[in-house]
Amino acid sequence: MIWHIIKRELFDHINSLRFILTVVILSALMVTNAVVHLRAHPKRVRNYSEKITKSANELKSRSELYALARKGPGDLYKRPSSLAFIADGGDAYLPKNISNGESWSISGQGGEVKSNWWLNYGTVNPDATDLTPYATKIDWVFIITYLLSFIPLLFTFDALSGEREQGTLRLCLANPISRPVLLIGKFLGTLITVLIPFVFAVLLNLAVISVDSWTQLSVADWGRLGLILLIAACYAGIFVGLGLMVSAGTREPRVSLVVLLLIWVAGVIFMPSTLGTLSTKWMPPVQTMDQFRDARKAALKQINDDYGARMSAVKEKKSPNLPSLSELQKLYETSPEAAMAAAEKLRGTWETEGDEELALKAELIKGDVEIRERLNRERLDAQIAQVQRARAVTRLSPAAIVQYALESMAGTGFNRHLQYLEHVHQHTKQFRQFIVETDRADIQSPHFIGVPKGMSQKPVASEAIPKFEDKIAFSDTFNTATLDLLLLVLLLGVFVSGAFLVFIRSEV
Amino acid sequence: MLRTLIRQEFLTHLMSARFFAAVIITLLLVVANAVVLLEDYERRLMKYSQQENAHRQKVQEAKTYSMLKLSVERPPNPLSLFSAGLDKRLGTTFEIYYGSVPIISDGSARSLDNTFLNLFSKIDLVLIFQVVLSLMALLFAYDAIAGDWESGTLRLVISHPVRRGSILFAKYIGAMVCLLIPVLMSLLMVLILLSSTSSIQLDGEDFLRIGGIVLTTSIYLSVFYLIGLLISATTRRTATSLMLCMFLWVALVLVYPNWSRFTITPVGDTRAIHSSADQQIEQIWEEVDREERVFLANSPLEGEPQKFNLDVPSSNSFSSGRHFSKRHGVNMSLLGKRSEPLVPHVQQYHATMGALYIRSAEQIALVRKQTLDSTALWESIRHERLMKLSPASLYTFTAAAWAGTDLEGMFDFVQAVQGYRRTIVDYFHDKDAFGSRKWFASDRGAVDWWDLPQFHFDRTDVWENATRALPGLLLLLLINLALFTVTFLFFIKIEV
Repeated sequence: MIWHIIKRELFDHINSLRFILTVVILSALMVTNAVVHLRAHPKRVRNYSEKITKSANELKSRSELYALARKGPGDLYKRPSSLAFIADGGDAYLPKNISNGESWSISGQGGEVKSNWWLNYGTVNPDATDLTPYATKIDWVFIITYLLSFIPLLFTFDALSGEREQGTLRLCLANPISRPVLLIGKFLGTLITVLIPFVFAVLLNLAVISVDSWTQLSVADWGRLGLILLIAACYAGIFVGLGLMVSAGTREPRVSLVVLLLIWVAGVIFMPSTLGTLSTKWMPPVQTMDQFRDARKAALKQINDDYGARMSAVKEKKSPNLPSLSELQKLYETSPEAAMAAAEKLRGTWETEGDEELALKAELIKGDVEIRERLNRERLDAQIAQVQRARAVTRLSPAAIVQYALESMAGTGFNRHLQYLEHVHQHTKQFRQFIVETDRADIQSPHFIGVPKGMSQKPVASEAIPKFEDKIAFSDTFNTATLDLLLLVLLLGVFVSGAFLVFIRSEV
Repeated sequence: MLRTLIRQEFLTHLMSARFFAAVIITLLLVVANAVVLLEDYERRLMKYSQQENAHRQKVQEAKTYSMLKLSVERPPNPLSLFSAGLDKRLGTTFEIYYGSVPIISDGSARSLDNTFLNLFSKIDLVLIFQVVLSLMALLFAYDAIAGDWESGTLRLVISHPVRRGSILFAKYIGAMVCLLIPVLMSLLMVLILLSSTSSIQLDGEDFLRIGGIVLTTSIYLSVFYLIGLLISATTRRTATSLMLCMFLWVALVLVYPNWSRFTITPVGDTRAIHSSADQQIEQIWEEVDREERVFLANSPLEGEPQKFNLDVPSSNSFSSGRHFSKRHGVNMSLLGKRSEPLVPHVQQYHATMGALYIRSAEQIALVRKQTLDSTALWESIRHERLMKLSPASLYTFTAAAWAGTDLEGMFDFVQAVQGYRRTIVDYFHDKDAFGSRKWFASDRGAVDWWDLPQFHFDRTDVWENATRALPGLLLLLLINLALFTVTFLFFIKIEV
């Protein structure tokens, strides 16, 4: 019996005008999406491979161990996802690479000290200079969140209230059909009707995309595509449920349409951005750039002062009674020759590097890198915490849930960026370990990492240097999407059972 | 008779569930978002004054003229509440420096503590009107004629001695009044909300601007109502008319503006334009370098231009360079006695270089302006024009023109910044700063900045806004007129 109802619903819908319009609009958008992707993706991939080749070559050219410590692993690039056409994920607002922090050098009592590489998270803000009007990218997320919610409402608003008005509902229930069966039949029938044009448009989209050789979809990618379709179906199901619920509760189809459209406008279009703006109110604070710089300056000054004091103690012990700089200046006014000689001697003691000096320098450099990385990391973590909070708040809207779920599936967006940062951290650790171990393997080295004379002078085999390769792992992205998937299934359950309850209680 | 018809239409709409729903949802959305946006504005205002203070402190830190690091901040526009436009996006901090003329793309968003938050989409009140009320207008219109035709009331009405034009007109007026009620009610709520906070101060001109936005809103709503009426007059079946209306709405409001922005990219290789501009700028710098060498060849000064061969026991300096501006600053807090004879030469050097830098800045600004005009600006204007094919985008842009948050409003600010730079250059000339000892040395006292001209920015007056909004407004009116005529023609020919 239920099969009969589904079939009838399907045939009814497929012959209607709205079905044709749905097919047209979904196909047009999907084809647009594919064409834009074909144009943009090769550029992205080429750019990425050029950049990583350049970065790798630069790394190879560093054959000295010290050069590796000073210049670091080079620029670390984020791999673009081949499924970027599904979810753009605010790609333009996330940094594409991590590059060296600026370098410093000081010269003075202990001779010259040069900074080592540290991890510096860049920021990008394309909006600041972008004069073009704002617009959302047309990706699958756009198509699914807006249209796969709007179209189910157009198919369901008169599903029950229309039939009630015409009297066919009474006729139908006069037959030996239980209400749940009728409702389930209508639900499945409408859902399938909505999904037919969607799947058709998706196939069209994939057909266009597969023409191009730049986007090669692996087996895992196809698995993800399957899950994405499931998410889309789930999301459409939520709105079919909502439509049936409102339709069962109202007498007239035009009233149910107005109510549904207003719910849709509020929930899908406005809630994500309103909540996003609202959430800034409850966000944990982030240091301003000035505060951050001041804090860093203070922390660095401390280790620098400490270094200066200890270094002068070492120098004093080695060769006591040397004139200080100001004394030298006074001497210069009276007898320049004597001052020159004294300065020459002073420079000589400054430039000698014994183990004590090397140890002090290595300590300074290590401290410098640690402080900078710690502070950078703290700031980044605070920023991430803000974004996570905003995402948690916006999850009140099903449109935002689907967006986040699809981003995780497509390997783009904020979670993907976090995954990339994780890879960078792992690589940094590995890279530093490599330097320490290579240095330890050389028995002639005095083992003071970060100072030219304190490290192994043996050339490093370029093959041995660890290379950074960013990977998009399916399991990681799936884990982050589980919460969103669960929320979606929950919402589906709520709305379908809501429709069921309202329909059971309504009079025919 | 016409009055009776209008009253009847008006009352039917007024008592319908859809009108009730429209009022409730518009009020809810507008008030909720106004509260959120007001808080957002207050936060931006706080950031703005923080930044201003920081800039002022930076000025006081400069001991010599060359060490002056002057920046100005763009204040948030109070009307960005209604139309955000570019106001929240573009960079707000501009550096003022005699050796470079700032252009619009030089602004940096330094007050932004977390750039990741750009991931979340922005909202303004105009967007609510644009989306919700256009949908409501279509819902009011889809059955206006088709519904009457189906139920037979149309035949009944026409059998009376009324002209068909009057019937159409009565329907139009009745529905438009009903559509304007939620607009005006929500506007009233927003104004009450605004008057209850002290952070936003609106003057008479701002109320006129808001009035302009309301006027544009009503003309925009009328466009959508007439679209619905036209569909209703041509289809004669409410179900068909409804579906056409809904899909047309999706296409015009949701899809087209985004679609045109990403599908149609302006052709042309901007890279070539940029590299040729870079070359021209390079040539200007070479010219400067050559003149510098000529000057140095005829002077007893030697060594690095920052310090020359002066005897400087204590100094601090900075230098930064991008391809369009090279900045140096030096502060010699102590100057050895032996270098006293050289000081006049150094003064002369800085006077010459100051003049050279100012001249090259004007030349470079010309090149950069041309580059901007033919790349980013051209692209932006083209996109804007394409987007304006949809009445929804046309409405957004016109509202932004009223609020002063459009591209032209941003250019107003940049112009004020450029004017301020000229004032600063004049100030330096008045003080003979370039050729003075205080340009590079503070050993005989630091520069006193008490009479440094302050930056001040006034938004353009409302008439300027009105002229900028006029083309959009006229275009919307024209669409109205065309739609009404076509609907009228269809309605006349309709068989009852």
